Amino acid sequence: MTSSTPASFSMGTADGLPEAEKNAAESENTYILRPIFQQRFRPSVVKECIHAVLKEELANAEYSPEEMPQLTKRLSETIKDKLKEMGFDRYKMVVQVVIGEQRGEGVFMAARCFWDADTDNYTHDVFMNIPCNM
Amino acid sequence: MLPRDLSTTPSKYLAVPGTQELEFRRLSSSQLSGMPQFPRRSSRCPVTLSAPVLPARPEGQPSLVPAPRPAPPPNRTPTGLETRTALRPFPPHRVGVTVTVRRTKDDTWKADDLRKHLLAAQSGSPKEDKKHREKKLHKESEMDLPEYREPKHGGPDRDSKYRERPGERDGPVSRENPHGDREREKRRERRKDSRDRDRERHKEKHREQDTEKSHGKGKDRGKAGDRGAEREERGRTAACAVPPGRPLLGRAERETRAVSRVRTEEKERRDGDPERGDEERERRYRERKLQYGDSKDNPLKYWLYKEEGERRHRKQKEPDRERKHGEKSSTREKREKYPKEKSNSFSDKEGEERHKGKRHKEGFQFDEERRQSNTAEKERLSREDLKRRESKDSEHRNRGASSRRDPIGSREGTYAENLVRNNGKDKDSRKEIEKEDIDSENAGADEYTACFEDDFEDYEDDFEVCDGDDDSFNELEPKEKIEELPLARKKEIQEIQKAINAENERIGKLSCRLSQKPGLLEDENSSPARAPVCGIFIDFATASRRQKSRTQALKQKTRSTKLLRLIDLDFSFTFSLLDLPPVNEYDMYIRNFGKKNTKQAYVQYNEDNVDRDIQTEEIETRGVWTQHPGEGTAVSGGSMSGDPRDVAAAPKVDTPRLSSFLRAACQVIAVLLEEDRVGAEPSWGPRTQDSTLHISDSSSQLNTSLPFLQNRRVSCLCASQVQRQTVVSVHGPPGAASAPVLDCRYVLCVWDIWQPSGPQKVLICESKVTCCCFSPFKAFLLFAGTVHGSVLVWDLREDSRIHHYVKLGNCFWTFRTATFSTDGILTSVNHRSPVQAIEPISTSVYKKQSFVLSPFSTQEEMSGLSFHIASLDESGVLNVWVVVELPKADIAGSVSDLGLIPGGRIKLVHSAVIQLSDSLSHKGCEFWGATRTLNVKFLPSDPSHFIVGTDVGLISHGTRQDLRVSPKLYKAQQPGMRPVQVNVIDFSPFGEPVFLAGCSDGSIRLHQLTSECPLLQWDSSTNGHAVTGLHWSLTRPAMFLAQDDMSCIYIWDLLESDLGPVAKQLISPDRLVAMTVVGEAEKASGSFLALVLARASGSVDVQYLKRAWAAPVGDELRKLRLLFQEAL
Repeated sequence: MTSSTPASFSMGTADGLPEAEKNAAESENTYILRPIFQQRFRPSVVKECIHAVLKEELANAEYSPEEMPQLTKRLSETIKDKLKEMGFDRYKMVVQVVIGEQRGEGVFMAARCFWDADTDNYTHDVFMNIPCNM
Repeated sequence: MLPRDLSTTPSKYLAVPGTQELEFRRLSSSQLSGMPQFPRRSSRCPVTLSAPVLPARPEGQPSLVPAPRPAPPPNRTPTGLETRTALRPFPPHRVGVTVTVRRTKDDTWKADDLRKHLLAAQSGSPKEDKKHREKKLHKESEMDLPEYREPKHGGPDRDSKYRERPGERDGPVSRENPHGDREREKRRERRKDSRDRDRERHKEKHREQDTEKSHGKGKDRGKAGDRGAEREERGRTAACAVPPGRPLLGRAERETRAVSRVRTEEKERRDGDPERGDEERERRYRERKLQYGDSKDNPLKYWLYKEEGERRHRKQKEPDRERKHGEKSSTREKREKYPKEKSNSFSDKEGEERHKGKRHKEGFQFDEERRQSNTAEKERLSREDLKRRESKDSEHRNRGASSRRDPIGSREGTYAENLVRNNGKDKDSRKEIEKEDIDSENAGADEYTACFEDDFEDYEDDFEVCDGDDDSFNELEPKEKIEELPLARKKEIQEIQKAINAENERIGKLSCRLSQKPGLLEDENSSPARAPVCGIFIDFATASRRQKSRTQALKQKTRSTKLLRLIDLDFSFTFSLLDLPPVNEYDMYIRNFGKKNTKQAYVQYNEDNVDRDIQTEEIETRGVWTQHPGEGTAVSGGSMSGDPRDVAAAPKVDTPRLSSFLRAACQVIAVLLEEDRVGAEPSWGPRTQDSTLHISDSSSQLNTSLPFLQNRRVSCLCASQVQRQTVVSVHGPPGAASAPVLDCRYVLCVWDIWQPSGPQKVLICESKVTCCCFSPFKAFLLFAGTVHGSVLVWDLREDSRIHHYVKLGNCFWTFRTATFSTDGILTSVNHRSPVQAIEPISTSVYKKQSFVLSPFSTQEEMSGLSFHIASLDESGVLNVWVVVELPKADIAGSVSDLGLIPGGRIKLVHSAVIQLSDSLSHKGCEFWGATRTLNVKFLPSDPSHFIVGTDVGLISHGTRQDLRVSPKLYKAQQPGMRPVQVNVIDFSPFGEPVFLAGCSDGSIRLHQLTSECPLLQWDSSTNGHAVTGLHWSLTRPAMFLAQDDMSCIYIWDLLESDLGPVAKQLISPDRLVAMTVVGEAEKASGSFLALVLARASGSVDVQYLKRAWAAPVGDELRKLRLLFQEAL
């Protein structure tokens, strides 16, 4: 009975760091150390993005230990790509996806970052997929 | 030994390259010149040039660099750079490298050498001189050689010491070279020891000097020898150019390209046909000689040129180089014949074959060239020259690079040196790898050389030192080969190869060791150099990648260090991303609940009303208060609006009035009920026919048929003076036993004449009651006197529960015993003879009766029970008792009052005793014995006076206080004492001071209180029958009733007739036993006069007299007084 009740949740963290490397072709020094205001990392927007991805991917997903590694990788890649499209120019993104099975156990997850508090930020989203099988 | 000696001048001798070249040159020249002493060397020389010995050097030399030094200075004209790049057939990046290298080299030479030369010329210090000289030699070895020789030759005095040495030393040195090489190797391993290094340097310097000498000596040898030496030197310089670290290898590789060419030639010869190879070598040497002779027969020129400036030199060389390059490109095609053979020897890797192929081609080209014409020789020489320069350039560059690469310290550099040196011995495979690496490096190196040009200048000196150091090792191997060649080439070659192999093996071990050490100590930069050492497999791709990544990393590092100054990084807070508490069992159950075949639902009555949870009537509540105990009018209250009104409306009740009213009402109702009962029972009601006497209008019968009254004879009747309707009847013991409880007991019944159905109270008594009376003001106490002389008191208010309770028939009857009895107590004062009479003494009674004016006051007095009881027995003792009401009843009984019934409250206290017999007996009637007193009456007007009837026909008058009263006796009209008993005495109730006395002789006397003689006396009214009863009428003052013992009733009306009775009624056959009169005078309409007659049968009748006797006549009392006055 209970084996057929896998619940998966996933969490994505986008962590921005000023991009250190610039194109070799770009010869001119911009003297821009930090992202311009329009390109600041906006947690709310990013969270929406993450949530959209998670919802799309995980809405009907069932937990199976074999598939999860690929799924996490795919999700993180997808999220990262989407974030790059959003144009956080001088950021380095770190996306972390964790998928776990929900069977009543307690879970506590925490994150800590070494960053420039002025510009860098993070956001996370939790998607809980509770399958209801009648 | 020698090195020790020379160690006194350490640093200055370190500048080597030139000297080494010299040495080589010398060797080669000696060989070529056909010097018999050193045939080997000459023969060997070509071998070394082409053989693996040379390739080993390029790595060895740069490893000697003690500390990182920047490349030569930057100031340089860009002239010729473009052309050169165009000419060179190298890959693009390499082109760039070479260009820069050249630049630097040119500049360095231009700037530094010139400066130093000038300095040397000015100062003239030997050391400086030497150095500079060496430098010069090194730089322009080919051109300088002739020059050098000449001065040495010309000035043998200066070098005389040294000149001998070559003879002594050259042989052994050259011969020992293999060993010396090895030793040096070992030393190199111990490189960190600077002393060793120094020693080596010294040695090398010595050697250089030697070579100089030899050069000097061999100036006669000619250009051929020079050429050979030069060739060797070319190789060596190439070796010197080998960088200390991986990045530096590129230069060495470039050098080695040339070297490899030579070597391939040699190998070809060896492998394919040794003989032919030898021949070829010889030929080549010869050709070279020729070339030298052709091209550079005037070395002096160079010397001079050098003094003037290097520019010219370069200009000369440049065309040469160009030529060479062109030649190279052409030769490459020719060499295509033997690509494979060498590829095996060089390396196992397929990828490298291309490079090898090139080299082979070149090598072949060389051979062919040499064979074909001597003109080619010249070109090659120039090319070699160029190469050498290149090597120098590269050396500088390498230094620069190394200095750049190893900013950390010299230690790293030493490691790199070691590595490189070891690598240098790894002749076959190493070169290719390095070449590759260097190619890639150069691109990066270019930039840095540009950046650090200035630095290179400063470190020029150190390069020299290093060069010398390096050369010292490398020079020896060629020497060996040079020696061997002429004698037994094959052998020598084999030996050399053996040595090489051994070295390789050692290096392999060493490198392994080193590779571990550097791994710990060196950083990323040096590790790539290690990799090729360890493995035979060479991966250029990864190497280049690594190189790139390294540069990248370095860039990032520098950038980060710069940027981190501007940006603060700190640790963020710890974000809690997800916190899922463990689910408890119930939640799990609920979560799984839906999975089962069940469903949770709710149902509700009255489904339309979903908003109401429960549809029930609202409970109405109201606050009310109450009080306990519920005294007062407002016992409870609350929010109800009606309550206050009720409280307000509660009437003020006059409790005493109510109770009195209720009492009266009760009586009325009781009477009414009684009348109903009488109506139902005809016998009880008033009857006119049979039982009613003719003197009465009606009659009634008291119900004496009760079980306890049957067969009892009534002995006495008594009526209350206040409550006229209350009558008490005393019943004697029954004739036949009926009720065992009441046997032999006397029963007293208190009747209300209006309620004839039953007695109000039933009292019992042990002894025979002879007389009784009610309390004066309220008839609730009944006093009785017994035959035994005791006085009894009944409290009629007592609760019936403390008395005997008997059920007789259908009714319960309470038989009350006496509340207080004087039986057995107060024996001293108590009566000893039967009590004849008992009378209440109350002044108020008389007042009330006499003065009708103040009834209320008397009423109040009476309520206080302030009255006395007097009891008279036969013996003439009159006791006066005080009636005391106890404040509280004691159910347990009283200890002191023994006559008191438990729970009773009334008791009698003896107050006084009056002895009447004395006064009576003193009257002189001694013979009559003791006079019996029969009854006593107290004067209504004055209770202290009383009259006592005696059995001698006299009525005694007395007072309680023994006062003298007059008359003392009331006598009959007949004088003297007669035995006549005065049975009855009765005072007029209307206050007239008269009283009637009935005597046993049948006479009735009417006495006034003031006269001794009677006012009237009727002697024969009863026909001589004794009068037993005599009562004044209560309604008419002039009327009285008499009864005789013949059961006949006489009615007297004095107004009508004062001679005899007006009426006479004989009661028969049931004889009359006792009679009393009850009646009410106050009520005009309701006034009645009734006779209560106790019959012998035991029945009691109430005869209501006719209205004529009952109703008073007007002015009767006045008429009566008139009558009295008339009778007086």
